[in-house]
Amino acid sequence: MSADVQTLKSLEIFSELAHEDVEEIASLMTPLKIMEGETVMRRGDPAHTFYIVLSGNFMVHFKDDRAITLHNRGDIMGWSTVITPFQYTGTGVALTDSEILSLPGQNFLRLIQGNSVLGDKIMKKINAVVVERMPFVSEIRKESEDN
Amino acid sequence: MNGLEAIAAHNGWAISVVGVSIVFTGLTLLSLTISQLHKVIKFWDERDKFSQQVKQLWKKEEPREEKEEEEEEETIPDFCLAQDIDEITRQFKLLTKRIGEPFPLPKLLEISERCGLFRPHSAINYLLRTERILPDGKGYFYWNENK
Repeated sequence: MSADVQTLKSLEIFSELAHEDVEEIASLMTPLKIMEGETVMRRGDPAHTFYIVLSGNFMVHFKDDRAITLHNRGDIMGWSTVITPFQYTGTGVALTDSEILSLPGQNFLRLIQGNSVLGDKIMKKINAVVVERMPFVSEIRKESEDN
Repeated sequence: MNGLEAIAAHNGWAISVVGVSIVFTGLTLLSLTISQLHKVIKFWDERDKFSQQVKQLWKKEEPREEKEEEEEEETIPDFCLAQDIDEITRQFKLLTKRIGEPFPLPKLLEISERCGLFRPHSAINYLLRTERILPDGKGYFYWNENK
């Protein structure tokens, strides 16, 4: 089942996109229900899926047990799907029953690379999140670069 | 008069059919009751949530202004307090004493799960959303002494 276009348009990450672009993204996204305590991604695993929180609460923990918590609609997880080395930098765990949208990383990457205007708009939003979280993830990035 | 003849003469067959029916009806009712028991227990566990839902139904009929004022309260997570929140806070504070402060959230979650605390993910989320636990900005967390 694909995601609803109106739902996507209400999300910050897609707010500046044209209607056709949002429709295309919606056709690639799948809504998922996550149970309290469920792990959606693991640090170090290949980043194959990008997630957007629709409702619920998550904890993402990094190296040295550092963690951030996500409580807002539109929060994203799994941005490593579009950034090298394409490995999750954190482990995402649902703190409550939640609803998320999932987007396969390869499709997302293809979309961003195939449409420069759309790619630029989305990457700006993702970069803002990366900058916020970078202090927590810099260690794993450094490790990957060393390897 | 003996045997089957005696049974038939004194309505024995009818009595046995009635007896069997009574026993089977009783057993069916008993099994149905037991099969639905989990719903009663769930209802009891989530009684606070149900009472909130009932209150919200009443609130829907109230004027819009009052509704907006209380929106903030509604965004507090859907954690059903089967225990007193002060008791939960006390339990988690005891655990963090072992770890030290500021404490890593994943570690606190791990220990609380090991100790068998009631719904540790939701409990931690509740403590975060009510600002009893605050992030230190470096990926660790500490107790808000003002709460």
